[in-house]
Amino acid sequence: MSGIEIFQIWVMAFFTLALFSFLYKDNPAYKLAEHIFAGLTAGYQVGLIWDTIVIQKLWDPMIYGGKWWLFIPGILGFLMFARLFPKYSWLSRVSLAFVMGTTAGIFLFTQLHGLVLPQMQSTMLALGGEDGFAAALLAVVVVIGVISTLIYFYFSKEHAGVLGVTARVGIWFIMISFGAHFGYTVMGRVSLLIGRVQFLIEDWIGSFSQMF
Amino acid sequence: MRTAAPVAVAFLSGVILVISFFFNEEKTVVGGLSQELLNWVIIVGGFTLLLGMVSIIRVNWAAVQRRKENWIYRLFTLIAIFAAAIPSLLPPSWSPLFGRAEGSIYDWLFVYLQAPMMATMFATLAFYIASAAYRAFRARSADATLLLITATLVMLWRVPMGEAFLNLFPGDVPNIINDYIMNGANLAVQRGIIIGAALGAASMSLRIILGIERTYMGKG
Amino acid sequence: MMGFWDRMEKIDRRWIYLLVGLAVIVPFLIPMKFPVSVSPEARSFYDAVEALPDSCTVMLVFDYYPSTMAETEPMAIVGARHLFSKDCKIITLTNIPYGAPSMAESVTRMVAAEYGKEYGTDYVNLGYKYGYTAVLKGMGMSIEDIFPTDNSGTPLSEIPMMDSIVNYEQISFVFEVADNATADYWISIVNAGYGVPMGVGCTAVMAPKYYAFVGAGQIVGLLGGMKGAAEYEILIEQEGTAFRGMDIQSLVHFLIIAFVVIGNIGYFAGRRHRRKV
Repeated sequence: MSGIEIFQIWVMAFFTLALFSFLYKDNPAYKLAEHIFAGLTAGYQVGLIWDTIVIQKLWDPMIYGGKWWLFIPGILGFLMFARLFPKYSWLSRVSLAFVMGTTAGIFLFTQLHGLVLPQMQSTMLALGGEDGFAAALLAVVVVIGVISTLIYFYFSKEHAGVLGVTARVGIWFIMISFGAHFGYTVMGRVSLLIGRVQFLIEDWIGSFSQMF
Repeated sequence: MRTAAPVAVAFLSGVILVISFFFNEEKTVVGGLSQELLNWVIIVGGFTLLLGMVSIIRVNWAAVQRRKENWIYRLFTLIAIFAAAIPSLLPPSWSPLFGRAEGSIYDWLFVYLQAPMMATMFATLAFYIASAAYRAFRARSADATLLLITATLVMLWRVPMGEAFLNLFPGDVPNIINDYIMNGANLAVQRGIIIGAALGAASMSLRIILGIERTYMGKG
Repeated sequence: MMGFWDRMEKIDRRWIYLLVGLAVIVPFLIPMKFPVSVSPEARSFYDAVEALPDSCTVMLVFDYYPSTMAETEPMAIVGARHLFSKDCKIITLTNIPYGAPSMAESVTRMVAAEYGKEYGTDYVNLGYKYGYTAVLKGMGMSIEDIFPTDNSGTPLSEIPMMDSIVNYEQISFVFEVADNATADYWISIVNAGYGVPMGVGCTAVMAPKYYAFVGAGQIVGLLGGMKGAAEYEILIEQEGTAFRGMDIQSLVHFLIIAFVVIGNIGYFAGRRHRRKV
């Protein structure tokens, strides 16, 4: 392990431990790491957007590729900065409306065609299939679960009478699903901790033998 | 003008994309036009990220200038912004330290500072979730008990030691959890949420295209 | 006087943190190596990739932030290994601005070196472009139109592997590794709109949602969190960081279950005690 590699590992270890130190209590090392992290996250975007969007998608095709009409999205992009000047901030609405309108145009059918229909289709299964009683039972459970969940989230009408009973069943289903979510979330969070501890034990503590 | 122009732009851009759904993308004018709009939205949207960066600089700069509380830390935020941004904007032909490639300052800052810090920030959540499990995960009601039992079963099922423990019981418990909890009740709820959210997103899209939904424009 | 359970309920959270820290460190020093079973969802994912024709082109998507690397990167690594072992051509790309282009670059370069694969002929890193919906929809007509260059700025027209690739029609499979909702858009726009088969490897937090997509046949399989990655490592017979992490997961999960049990005993005992008073 070279000197520069050891230095890099120690830099990573310092910032890792500085952030973990918050678990004990707030302190200057944590604050420093937190603020540097925020700055790097913002600064990281500049080079990326400049390179991948402004140069590759706007400047090069417009100047060298003959796509002169790209000055329109270029202007719309610059209008976004009008938000920084209260008097002219309304101009940024045009750019925002363009992004919103286009995204809405994509969403309108892809959400229905790509999510609603396939999910509904797979809920409507024939009960008398070859998979036997267990599969049929599962299919019934799924149908009841989907309908009761949708009813629970349907807020336009008071949850009383039949609607109330179905919504109640929906809550049971939701509790089971959220429980599963919690179980999985524990695994997810622990995985991330394992990643950091793995670094500290294998790389950082491992570097001690190289140094001393 | 301040409202009509954005509404018209949202309507036109949205309608073109909606119509293009029904046409061959490669062989029709509508398809070509929608493709052009998609390229435009990538460009315009990219500027929003730059705008966010400018806002962060303004807020932190003002705090440093007025020597507000923690201004010294905010100064480090500003230094970090420029340390990552400036070298990445300079041409790599000047020095291998510039640009975004491996070996550049930009890449070094990402690999050795930003990535480990981002990972550590999220890793701390493991401690908080353990603390929450101890303090707040109570069987206060039938609903909460149901949630608690499912969470415990799934936690056991997803790890090798837990699975070995579940296999001590008769009836292939791990498979029952997979079939009836994950692919049964959980699948049904997730499906309900997906359908509900997608219907909501589709209707919101229609409202935006038709100019009924204007809250994204803000006030003024 | 404060009873035992009352004191337990008000215990300083830092003792809990310390126990969690120890539970993570101890298995590092004393590995237990419990056998990891393979779920049907991971098996069907593996089978679908295994059934791909050799030398086909696959998109390996790095839609994750560095924050979840411990969970997601093992999936990307095993995915790249499985695909390269089948001589598939890999196109990597991302919808995540923070670091994902570099992570895609380093992972594929590392795995490519193991299999003797070369950049430009066996794999290409398209990098990042803003706006996932526009990017995913736009690639349906032309990938080059959306990504005129690769991540390092080389025009796609100068990359041999991209000669025969125009849009999704030439893509046999999408191997999506994600820690956020972009996976939904790959499903709703690319799978539903263009019929490209896909599998999702996602963080554990996201996994319960994606059972609905597996059930509907919209994705061929699912790798859920570190366990999912460990399952795939077993399937391709290359145990890696995810497999090793499962020992630690076991211990921490048992510790958290113990916290839940003790917390509840304390809650009920405390309630009884308060009622008596």
